Amino acid sequence: MFLQQLLNGLTTGSVYALIALGYTMIYGILGLINFAQGEIYMCGAFVAVLLLSTGQVSFAVAFAAGMAAAALLGLALERVAFRPLRGTHPLVPLISAIGASIFLQSLALLLFGPNDRPFPVHFTFRTITLAGLPVSTLQGAILGAALLFMALLVVFVRYTRYGKAIVACALDRDTARLMGINVDRMVALTFLIGSALSGAAGVMMAIYYNATYPRMGLLPGLKAFSAAILGGVGNIPGAILGGLVLGVAESLGAAYIYSGYKDAIAFVILIAVLLLRPQGLLSGWRRH
Amino acid sequence: MTAYILHLAIMAGIYIILTISLNLIIGYAGQVSLGHAAFYGLGAYTSALVSVYWHFPFPLALAAAVLVSAVCGLALGLPTLRLKEDYLAIVTLGFGVIVDMVALNLEITGGPDGIVGIPAPKILGLSFRSQPWYLLLVALCVFLVVGLTYRLVQSYHGRALRAIRDHEVTAQVMGINTPAYKIAVFTLAAALAGLAGVLYAHYISFINPETFGLHTSILALCMVVLGGMGSLAGSVVGAVILSVLPEMLRRFHAYQDLIYGALLVGLLIWRPEGLFGRGKMSLKFITRGEE
Repeated sequence: MFLQQLLNGLTTGSVYALIALGYTMIYGILGLINFAQGEIYMCGAFVAVLLLSTGQVSFAVAFAAGMAAAALLGLALERVAFRPLRGTHPLVPLISAIGASIFLQSLALLLFGPNDRPFPVHFTFRTITLAGLPVSTLQGAILGAALLFMALLVVFVRYTRYGKAIVACALDRDTARLMGINVDRMVALTFLIGSALSGAAGVMMAIYYNATYPRMGLLPGLKAFSAAILGGVGNIPGAILGGLVLGVAESLGAAYIYSGYKDAIAFVILIAVLLLRPQGLLSGWRRH
Repeated sequence: MTAYILHLAIMAGIYIILTISLNLIIGYAGQVSLGHAAFYGLGAYTSALVSVYWHFPFPLALAAAVLVSAVCGLALGLPTLRLKEDYLAIVTLGFGVIVDMVALNLEITGGPDGIVGIPAPKILGLSFRSQPWYLLLVALCVFLVVGLTYRLVQSYHGRALRAIRDHEVTAQVMGINTPAYKIAVFTLAAALAGLAGVLYAHYISFINPETFGLHTSILALCMVVLGGMGSLAGSVVGAVILSVLPEMLRRFHAYQDLIYGALLVGLLIWRPEGLFGRGKMSLKFITRGEE
C-alpha cells in the first residue's frame, strides 16, 4: 500500500517536474513567471489527442506533434505577451501572462467544449511484479519517459553550446550580450524547450488520467509552480526534486489524511516553504 | 425596467468596492492578488452563515465577515509579501482554489448548492429589503470606501506605499518598513473585499461557490487594469463599465472570458496606464524602463 502510493506519487511527480522545468528555466532567464505554462501543457495534450482520434497518425507522431505544438505556442506567447513588455515593472508581464492564460483556456473551451475527452488509443498495460511490488507498465513508461526528458535537458544545458549560452544569459544578460550571445534568441529557445517539455507532460497526463479538457492545465500548472519554488526557482535539479517530492507528498497525503483535499496539499507545502525556506531546497546550487 | 437598472447599479457599486480593494494591492503596493474573489467569498459566506444559522444582526454579521476576511488576508500576506510579487500571485491563486474547494466540500456551506434565504439587512429597525433602499446602503458603503482610500492614498502612508511600489529599496533606505506596509495594505484590501461580499450575499440572498471562483478574480483584475492601476477614479469607471457592458452584450456571453483575456494582454501592450492612468495618480512605474 505504502510503496504503491509512493510509486503513484513518483509518476505524477515526474510530470509535475517536467512542467516545473519550464517555469524554472523561464524564470532563470527572464526573472518572470510564465503563468500560461498550464495552458501550454493543455495544448500539447489536445493536439496529440485530436491527431490520434483521426486514426491516421501513429502514437509517436502524435506525441511529437503535441510537443511541437506546445513549443510553437510557447514561442508565440513569448512574442506576444512577454517581449513587448520587457523592461517594465515585473507586475506588467505577470498580468499579461495571466490574460494570455485566460484567453487560451476560454479559446480551448469554445473550440473543444467543456467535456473530458478520453485518450483515443487504447494501450494494453500489464501489471508486473517488481521486487514484490505490483508496477503498472503505464506508470513505468511515464516515469521512464519523464526521467529521460530530464536527463536530456540536463545534458543539453551542461554540455552544449546553446545550453551554456542559456546559462550565461540566466547568470547575467548584459554580460552575455557583450560576449556575443544573441539574448533574444536564447530567451526564445528557453521558451521553446520549456514549452515542449510541458507539452510532453500534457500528453503523458492525458494518457494517465484518460481525460483531456480545457481546464486541465490549471491545477498541474499551479502544482508545478509550487514544485519549482520548493526546489528553488531558477534551479534545474531543484525543479526535478521539487516535482517528485510534491507528487509523493500529494499521493501519500491523499491516502493517509483525506483524499477530498488532495489538491490543497501542494499549496500547503508552498506556503510552508515560503515561510520556512523561501530560497527553496537546493538554493545553494546556482549551477543549472 | 427600473428594477433592472437598480439591480445593475447595486452590482456596479459592489464591484466598485471589490475593484478598489484590488487596486490597493496592485496599484499601491505593486503586488498581484489572483484569488481576490476568495476574500469576496469569505465575506459573503461568513456573513451568510452567521445570519442564517446564528441569527446575528446585520452590523454584527458584517463586522464578523470583514474580520474573517482581514485575518485570512493577514495569514496569506505574512509569508508571501516579504518576497517577490510573483509569489503572492500564485499563493492567492492557490488560496482561491482552496476556498472554492472547502466551500464545495463542507456541509455547513451547503456544498455546490450554497446557502439560501440570507436575510436582507436591518439596521436600527430599518429594513433594506427593497431595491432603492439597498442601493442607498451600497452607495453609502461605496462613498465610505472611496473616501477612506482617497484619504489613505493622499496621506503619509499613501506616499509611503507609492514609494515602495516605485522603488522598494529606495523606500527602505528612506526608513519605510516596507513589509509591514505591504502586509497592512493587503489586509485592508482583503477586509474591503469581504465587505463587498457581505453586500452581495445580503442582496442576492443566495450564494454558492460558483460566484467566488477564478472567473470573478479575473473580472476584478480586468476592472483594475481597464480603469488604470493606481487610479481610484479609474477603478470606479472600470468597475462600472465591466459590470454594465456584459449585461448589454448578453449574446456574447460565451466569449466573455476570451475577451477578458485578450483585453488584459492588449491593454498592457498598448495602454498600460488604462483609461485613467494619466490622471493625478498615474503609475509612472509602468514606463520606468528599468529591469
